[in-house]
Amino acid sequence: MSLETLTKSWEPMSYGFLDASAKREIRRKTLKAIAVPGCQIPYASREVPMARGWGTGGLQVSCTLINPDMRVKVIDQGADDSVNAASIRKFLARVSGAPVTMDTLEADLIQSRHRIPEEKLREDQVLVLQVPNPEPLRPVQPNMSIARQMHADADYGRMWLQLYEQIVRSGRVMQGASYPSLVNGRFVMTPSPIPRWDVPKMDMAAHLTILSAGREKRLHAVPPYTRVEPLVFDDVPFRVEDHGRLVCTRSGARGFFMNEIPQEDGTSSFEVSDSELGVKTIHRRDGDAARIGETWYTDGEMAQ
Amino acid sequence: MAYVATRGGERAIEQSERLFRAEMGEITADRVAEMRKALPYLVDRVMGEASLYDGDLAALALAQTGGELYEAVLLLRAWRTTQPRLTVAEPVTQENLFTHRRISAAFKDIPGGQVLGPTLDYAHRILATEVLSGANFLPTPVEPASRPSPAQQPSVAAWQAENDLLTAPEPDTASGNTIPDITREPLLFPAKRAHTLQSLARAETGGVLALGYAAQRGYGQNHPTVNELRLAEADIRVRHPRGTEFSAGRVKVSQAEVVSKSGSDLGLGYAATLGWNEVKVIAAATLDLNAKGAPKGSATEEEFFLYHTEGVESSGFCIHFKLPHYVTFQSSLDAMHDARAKKAAQAKRAPKTDISPQVESAE
Repeated sequence: MSLETLTKSWEPMSYGFLDASAKREIRRKTLKAIAVPGCQIPYASREVPMARGWGTGGLQVSCTLINPDMRVKVIDQGADDSVNAASIRKFLARVSGAPVTMDTLEADLIQSRHRIPEEKLREDQVLVLQVPNPEPLRPVQPNMSIARQMHADADYGRMWLQLYEQIVRSGRVMQGASYPSLVNGRFVMTPSPIPRWDVPKMDMAAHLTILSAGREKRLHAVPPYTRVEPLVFDDVPFRVEDHGRLVCTRSGARGFFMNEIPQEDGTSSFEVSDSELGVKTIHRRDGDAARIGETWYTDGEMAQ
Repeated sequence: MAYVATRGGERAIEQSERLFRAEMGEITADRVAEMRKALPYLVDRVMGEASLYDGDLAALALAQTGGELYEAVLLLRAWRTTQPRLTVAEPVTQENLFTHRRISAAFKDIPGGQVLGPTLDYAHRILATEVLSGANFLPTPVEPASRPSPAQQPSVAAWQAENDLLTAPEPDTASGNTIPDITREPLLFPAKRAHTLQSLARAETGGVLALGYAAQRGYGQNHPTVNELRLAEADIRVRHPRGTEFSAGRVKVSQAEVVSKSGSDLGLGYAATLGWNEVKVIAAATLDLNAKGAPKGSATEEEFFLYHTEGVESSGFCIHFKLPHYVTFQSSLDAMHDARAKKAAQAKRAPKTDISPQVESAE
């Protein structure tokens, strides 16, 4: 027996970029996050060849999960062709050899910045959300060590107070994206800056969601079939963005989350934010084959 | 098929990168070697912030990024991620450093003497414009001292501890793999001592200076006196698996001890980093000095300054605001439109005082 037979030959980079010890740490922390839904688990968060704040948390989880048989989809603000989504997709394919796709139905692993696709995800799919700020308590408590103690005590009084103050001052909850939500009745988490439109998709969803913040070195998870309840008062119901009746000017898709495009005449037109759903809708309209999966929303209403 | 036409993302990013690299042109080994030779202090700064001591790689990172410092540091840190941690060197002790420069502002003279070493402190900062018109600048040769200063020097704090002026920190008994490593573990608070010193060592110079300066100006409780500032080379001693200890070479290091009166004792602040970077270690030692008992949320509180002087994280987050945010923005707009409509409806019913709606901060 020689050393050569016991070791692998030298390679300039590990499979999936991260070395085995980094991946092992992320796997352990992910399992912990799944075991305690919504609880922020600190991890070392190695530097990756992308700037912090550009999806390095999501990237580390994707690099850990990926294997050559997984089909990867990457979206940024709903779009597969957004420059940063293109860059991350290219990197993942380069370090793993995994095939890429833009079709939500075909994807095994979806890394996303700030959107959940409109087509329903299945049990065999994993959604990795990029998270800029993992701490829902940050607006009321910027100090991480105090906030951590508050989570331990389930001390969310100031969170409720903040929502109440918004209703008093503005007549409604002013939180736009990253709507704070209670996971499995215990931890308040940020669902990452997804629009409110996407928050109900997380509740009792069939798929696993891993939310990872690389810069802040925290990850949390929503396991399949777990309750996710946006924080609301009994007499003030949760309201998603008023997009249910909007129609996409490009594809004709209706009843989904839209991007508002300001027009020169002062008006706005709208296009569907989930770009691949838009593409498939166009294909269908033109008589080409395109399979659109079951969507969370039907006619702008979330199915109960 | 209108969507397809907009799918220029991949080509656009390819071309924009080419445009950036076109400005620097061809990068050769000669250019990298010249940069390393011409810019030792910049190379040191980058190595310190990257926590990776390799002059060639640091100069290469500078050449490859055209001197965009944050990019250069990120490049080195990302490269560092891919490297295995082979072994942990023996602890470097102050009295064993090969000292080039060591000064104390606390005493006129100190055991071992004040050693000025290389510095611009007393130079008149006059730009050598004649170089641009063809008159080369040739540095005047150094005249060696009649009596060389000792290569190894004790620390000033050690003398003060002997004379009961300060309580020397307990020596840390952790060794080898039991030493906490900030590059392998998350930073949690209250931070382990090793994590604090490691974070300061790799912190961004400008950030440490800004917060250290704030503390020095009066936002900190303790005014620092530079007990000792030292530029040195440290011998890196590692153990071969067979047991023999050997030197793996020397690295440049800088360290600062600052003190201030705290009760009847002297309080001690300390910082060290790879490479020679005096401003950084004095500012960092000032922050360390002020950290004890600092109010939560103040700029001298450990959590505040360690998080906010992390250059790769802070610069990355700052530039991430260039990414599209139209989904989050749309979501906020929706809430604002609705709040306005509600307010207008309310004003119709009963005119009231104007309270502007609050919106959460951007992410």
